[in-house]
Amino acid sequence: MKTDIAIGATLHEAENLSNPQWYKDAVIYELHIKAYADANGDGIGDFQGLTARLDHVQALGVNTIWLLPFYPSPLRDDGYDVADYEDVHPNYGTLDDFRGFLAEAHRRGLRVITELVVNHTSDQHPWFQAARRSPKGSPERDFYVWTDDPSLYSGTRIIFTDTEKSNWTWDEVAGQHFWHRFFSHQPDLNFDNPAVIDAVLKTMEFWLEMGVDGFRLDAIPYLIERDGTSNENLRETHGVIKQIRKRIEAKYPGRLLLAEANMWPEDVREYFGDDDECHMAYHFPLMPRMYMAIAQEDRHPVVEILAQTPEIPTHCQWAIFLRNHDELTLEMVTSKERDYLYKMYASDKRARINLGIRRRLAPLLENDRSRIELMNSLLLSMPGTPVLYYGDEIGMGDNIFLGDRDGVRTPMQWTSDRNGGFSRADPQRLYLPPIQDPIYGFEAVNVEAQGRETSSLLNWMRRMLAVRSTSAAFGRGRFTMLHPGNRKVLAYVREYEDDVILCVANVSRTAQPVELELRGWKGRVPVEMAGRNAFPTISELPYLMMLPAYGFFWFRLSVDAEPPAWHVESQPQEDLPTLVLFDGWNSFFRSKVVPWRMSLAEKTRQQFEQNLLPKFMQRQRWFGAKSETLTRAALVDQAMLDVDGKPWLLALVDAQCAGTSTRYFVPMTLAFEDHDEERARSLVALAVTKVRQQAEVGVIADAMGDEAFCKALVAAMGAGRSLRSDGGSLRFNAGKGFTDLVGNPPAEATPLRRLTNSSNSISLLGDRLFLKAYRRLQPGINPELEMGRFLTDAVAFPHSVPVVGSVEWIGADGQTWTLALLQAQCTNQGDAWTATVDQLARLLEASGPGDADPDEVIAATAEHLQVLARRVAELHIALARRTGDAAFDPEPATAADIAGWAESVQHDCKQTLTLLSQRKTSWPDGMATTVDRLIEAGPALLARIGQMAATVPAHLKTRLHGDLHLGQVLVCRDDFMLIDFEGEPQRSFDERRRKHSALRDVAGLLRSFDYARHTALHQTTRHANELAHLAALARRWEQRVRGAFLHAYRETVVAGGLYADAAGVAATQPLLDLFELEKALYELRYEIDNRPDWVGVPLAGIAALAGITN
Amino acid sequence: MERIDVLLEPVRGLLLEIGAFMPRLAVALGLLLVGWLMARAFRLGVVKALRALNFHVLTERAGVDGFLQQGGTEKDTTDLFGWIAYALVILASLIVASNSLGLTQVTDLLGKVVFFLPRLLVALMVVIFGSYFARFIGGAVRGYCKRVAISDGDLLGRLAQYGIMSFVVLLAIDHLDIGGGLIQQTFLILLAGVVFAGALALGLGGRERAAQLIERWFPPEKPDNERSR
Repeated sequence: MKTDIAIGATLHEAENLSNPQWYKDAVIYELHIKAYADANGDGIGDFQGLTARLDHVQALGVNTIWLLPFYPSPLRDDGYDVADYEDVHPNYGTLDDFRGFLAEAHRRGLRVITELVVNHTSDQHPWFQAARRSPKGSPERDFYVWTDDPSLYSGTRIIFTDTEKSNWTWDEVAGQHFWHRFFSHQPDLNFDNPAVIDAVLKTMEFWLEMGVDGFRLDAIPYLIERDGTSNENLRETHGVIKQIRKRIEAKYPGRLLLAEANMWPEDVREYFGDDDECHMAYHFPLMPRMYMAIAQEDRHPVVEILAQTPEIPTHCQWAIFLRNHDELTLEMVTSKERDYLYKMYASDKRARINLGIRRRLAPLLENDRSRIELMNSLLLSMPGTPVLYYGDEIGMGDNIFLGDRDGVRTPMQWTSDRNGGFSRADPQRLYLPPIQDPIYGFEAVNVEAQGRETSSLLNWMRRMLAVRSTSAAFGRGRFTMLHPGNRKVLAYVREYEDDVILCVANVSRTAQPVELELRGWKGRVPVEMAGRNAFPTISELPYLMMLPAYGFFWFRLSVDAEPPAWHVESQPQEDLPTLVLFDGWNSFFRSKVVPWRMSLAEKTRQQFEQNLLPKFMQRQRWFGAKSETLTRAALVDQAMLDVDGKPWLLALVDAQCAGTSTRYFVPMTLAFEDHDEERARSLVALAVTKVRQQAEVGVIADAMGDEAFCKALVAAMGAGRSLRSDGGSLRFNAGKGFTDLVGNPPAEATPLRRLTNSSNSISLLGDRLFLKAYRRLQPGINPELEMGRFLTDAVAFPHSVPVVGSVEWIGADGQTWTLALLQAQCTNQGDAWTATVDQLARLLEASGPGDADPDEVIAATAEHLQVLARRVAELHIALARRTGDAAFDPEPATAADIAGWAESVQHDCKQTLTLLSQRKTSWPDGMATTVDRLIEAGPALLARIGQMAATVPAHLKTRLHGDLHLGQVLVCRDDFMLIDFEGEPQRSFDERRRKHSALRDVAGLLRSFDYARHTALHQTTRHANELAHLAALARRWEQRVRGAFLHAYRETVVAGGLYADAAGVAATQPLLDLFELEKALYELRYEIDNRPDWVGVPLAGIAALAGITN
Repeated sequence: MERIDVLLEPVRGLLLEIGAFMPRLAVALGLLLVGWLMARAFRLGVVKALRALNFHVLTERAGVDGFLQQGGTEKDTTDLFGWIAYALVILASLIVASNSLGLTQVTDLLGKVVFFLPRLLVALMVVIFGSYFARFIGGAVRGYCKRVAISDGDLLGRLAQYGIMSFVVLLAIDHLDIGGGLIQQTFLILLAGVVFAGALALGLGGRERAAQLIERWFPPEKPDNERSR
């Protein structure tokens, strides 16, 4: 046991040294030994009981325990009257029990700080007994402060005005008055006596040697007395603290001193010294002002006190709290404010004590869950280290009928059993009766019940603490108060290195709107930290937000998160330059202007191509080479679509960067405010540039956001128009279903909504038309158009969206380029990826220890995904139908084909292993081992790939989706629609159009399930210690879903005649494994280059497929 | 025998003359061929040069192309210039050829035509630039009226445009020297008639309408007390 303790202490010591400012990242949990858990059944909590309950402390998510005094004491001031500094009160156990607790806490990564009550001792302390019996002037007598004249230090205030009349008390034995700032049984030590300081330092070393991580220095401002002063915060007191700090720094670096000084911040500031006194100090005035803010429904009290809070030294930190073991002290508020707070929070006078309120958090806030959450959110996000008081995590109540402050020190409520699970003793033996009223009693409020209830306060606290632990900015970040116009909203920003956290809280009982000035973080995407949901990007304009009553949000202002997919940027780009036109679109074309403007046209075009258009393109999500500088966006060909006097420029643009050139389709609209103000304004957010032509001003903008353009495009398709361009022609085509879908004449298709994705622009017209413009172009017919036509016109496949029109550009060389596509709009409930991940995340979140068996939920998901399996199978059956179209008719896959597929995967495998070897040093420890093993297993893996292809029976090659994953599937009324038949964007059109095994689609979906598992796990896991449980459940989910999916797929393809029987389709399993491996290798290469944090997902998949891991 | 000689003498003379004329004719035909080739090349050069200079854009913006095309041709003004250049070279070669054949009257006639063509070119240029200018002024008037909120800007712009255009046409005709005096007098009579008709219309028949127009264009200033209300 002792060896374990020694090892634990050594490890912990090393941790303290490696992170000497650990207290900045700490969340402190304050508890009474006597109140926490009773192991020996004597009715009083003890160290063994506490040790047994460390699971709860650890699961809560705090990382530091602050123990209230546990020393031998007559307990007349709840242990703050210490009778022996170097022992444990027998009620709480022994020193060995304490050592055992300390080792266990350290083993769990929990630090422990204890009370150092050195301003005074108990009058039972041997030092005092010796002092009163020793003669005047003796060294023993000199340990305390004595006088014959009780008028000495008359300017000193009395702290406990309810019980004490003077700070001097006559001692019959000593024949002198002794000095006490607190109760008369707590004589103050004489810190003017160096022997006292030595004795105190010896006491500290006793506990530090044992492994204690720090001390709370109780009543620290009162150490030294000087006549004619208030005897508080004296220079000499600071001298004593500096001596203590120096000794600790020299012998025990990384240990903490926390000052308890109930003063104004500017006075408390002195206790940090020049980084040479205490590491931390309480911010007393903040706490009542937080209560004041929600009582007054105005942020002012908090803003005011934080504005008055001075800067503190770099290595120092405030400790902040909502409640503690004492009364809610109102010393640091004005008398008017105090009256107001009394009225609001302690209308029952029994709740008042001294200058404060003796109530716990939940009763103070009338057990209002939203206010409790709001106050905790403020506590956890304000500058400083939060201190939670035991029991407040479950919303424990109090008992104001008990004396002194005992009402907030009642037994912890663990279960609904006898004594709330605190003790097995008879109830009458307990040190205090537990709370038993119907609202806060242990039968209603206890850890066990709340642990099992997902939405309980305890689980909410766990989640919030877990969220807080994801950012060092809460503990260490710079604090900036925002001042939105709505005074009921408190908003501030915490910044640490690159991490920026925005906290917004509504302190009122009604919903509030707020506009936040966030332009300093323009371009960042707020990600709500609890749900990890992205919000629209911050722009130049005030950020509008709605907050429910007592609502709050924490946002991480992320530089790399994607804004929500549905969000369309509608804010104008600031500082857009103005381009001067002289002849509309003709201003760009030398050959289309009058002779004396030819040179000007050249210059205008140069400005447009080299400056304006490149900048616009680089801002667009569809622009591929974001990391490279676009040097020129050259207009290589263009046609003018002119309808009702509105000319649109349909341009093909070569984007030139880093010596390469990529062709884009950029339709543009030119709108002047004088002619069409509403249209011009609606296009400002999509503006390439502002323009001026003589006295008219307007914009050149992306035409895909121009409703008139989209309608004109649809009309041109319907009319089968053809436009001549400078270097070819534009052809507008309508498919068979065009008239049915669009109507004749075209039905009103408004309003226009825009969607964007990585490579295209999508405009939704009304609720029926889906117009997609391809941005990055490739020569040849786009597979999506080709597949869409086939599925719509040739085989009428009902589970893909009908394609009814297109726009193509035919170059002078006869080469076709697909520019746009018109489809039907499918009313849907979002994509299957989001639905699946959300469903799994909900399952994981609801999987607490005691919750119902999740198998039913998994079975329901699996059953739903079986429908998807059938749709995929039906797609494959449709694509295998012979129609006489050589591009689609199925062909037998020859042995050479299969060998070629295997060879291709082997090539991918070699390429991936080389990439892994090159980046060998960049993997974290856990992943490095898997990477090493994978590299080692390379030859075996290559051989295995060869084997996979060797045993495959006769097979068909058909066209296929080519890039099927859950994101390419829409959920429509409990069924599925397959969308986006473009194929893998990295491959050429020829590759994408090549016939292949349809099992590649199945493999893509199986990999997608794997990603869904990891994504949901990532979203829901808050603690490392819950990972194992959740990971096991998620794995079970994936296995069930995979099995069900494959079963339904196979059943359907056999029924559809693609395979002779079940055995035939089962025999293709090696081929499916091959394609799954191919997909995982592709994912791994992608993640290495783009999202290194996600490398583990495909890596684990490959390792499993390679047989390295399960 | 002598009578035969006498009889053959004219034939001989004729043959001699033919013998003497044929080389000249051949030369003339040769000149015409060369002239035709040169004319084609010249026309091609002129058309290319004018198109390179965006002359076709100018004539199209000036409305001259539209005017021509309303007449049923698909050619534009640049093609017309090319044709004039072609004709100029052809005529020049005809003059040289007829000169070489000694056809002085033909030469004189052709000479007159040739000297007319440059004037035609200049007159066309006057029309083109004048028309472009007229349109420009018309547009400027319309723009200005719109800015200062005169509601009949279109009408005024058109008036300005057609007014300038009338002078441009007169200038061009004057340059061509085709019945200049007659046209000038006709123009003056028409102008006087228009002014007279306008005066009568405004003074008698359209008095109220004229008053309305004047009030609309130049609204009366409101009294100070009204302004301050």
